[in-house]
Amino acid sequence: MNKVTEENIRELLVRYLDGMSTQKELKVLGEYFTSIGNLPTDLVPYAQMFLLLGEKPKTPTAEALDRFYSTPTRKRRNIFLWPLLAAACIAAFAYILLTPPKMEENTAIAYVDGKMLTDKQAAMQMGLEALQEIFSNGSQEEQLSELFNEQ
Amino acid sequence: MKHLLITLMLLGIALPISAQKGLHINEIFEGCIIQKPGMHKTLIKGESLEPYKLTVLHTVKFTADRSCRDKVEALFSKDMGECLSDKDNLELEYHDGHLYYAVVQIADTKNGLHRYICYQCRIHAKEYDITLAYMEGKATLADLRKTFKKK
Repeated sequence: MNKVTEENIRELLVRYLDGMSTQKELKVLGEYFTSIGNLPTDLVPYAQMFLLLGEKPKTPTAEALDRFYSTPTRKRRNIFLWPLLAAACIAAFAYILLTPPKMEENTAIAYVDGKMLTDKQAAMQMGLEALQEIFSNGSQEEQLSELFNEQ
Repeated sequence: MKHLLITLMLLGIALPISAQKGLHINEIFEGCIIQKPGMHKTLIKGESLEPYKLTVLHTVKFTADRSCRDKVEALFSKDMGECLSDKDNLELEYHDGHLYYAVVQIADTKNGLHRYICYQCRIHAKEYDITLAYMEGKATLADLRKTFKKK
């Protein structure tokens, strides 16, 4: 096997950073950084990175695995929520539909040229005057006959 | 479920809005025929109408041109034709082939309250002063005549 030079390593690092490295090249890089002690300063961070990558993750102990599997998982309790929610909705709608709206109980609103009158008495008077106008001026013939009968 | 809830909520909002009287003249009350700035409108409900044996009084007054008068007259006549309670429960007067005055008792409400629609159209300087009214209550046609006819 040819001796790996610093120049080779720099080339392999460029390939590694470009994501072009093969498994073999990665192995070469790993072996180089773990075996060479006196590295140039700019290569030290790469050495640390390859050391970390080379570390095998610790497998959990049997006790830890037992503890993990014996931890009780939370059961979902929202199964009972839907009937309650549905009942609440039905009750709310029954209340809305069966209770007569309070606003209808006592209202006296008037609009004059698009402007709302807040005075209930004025609104009432306007409404009654409109009715009087209809009922009184409705039949001219009737009015005339009434007038002549009075005379 | 979430969609169902939203639908129910929208339905709950929509019901009170659509719970109108189901009459064609509602278009006039709502300002679809005459622009709201030109209207004098009143809506009275509740205790203040008790002396008149009424529960709802809705009136509207406006000045209209010929085409508008024709539309209003057509809508009123439609209601008269579709909802008339009894042939004896109406007073009509025509001038020059157009409705001049009308007081019509239409079908009662589900609660057994009487309903009336009233119309008056007076010619005034080539324009038409129209007064419309909608009433609900226990009052009979004779009661209304007696109460609102000026002496």
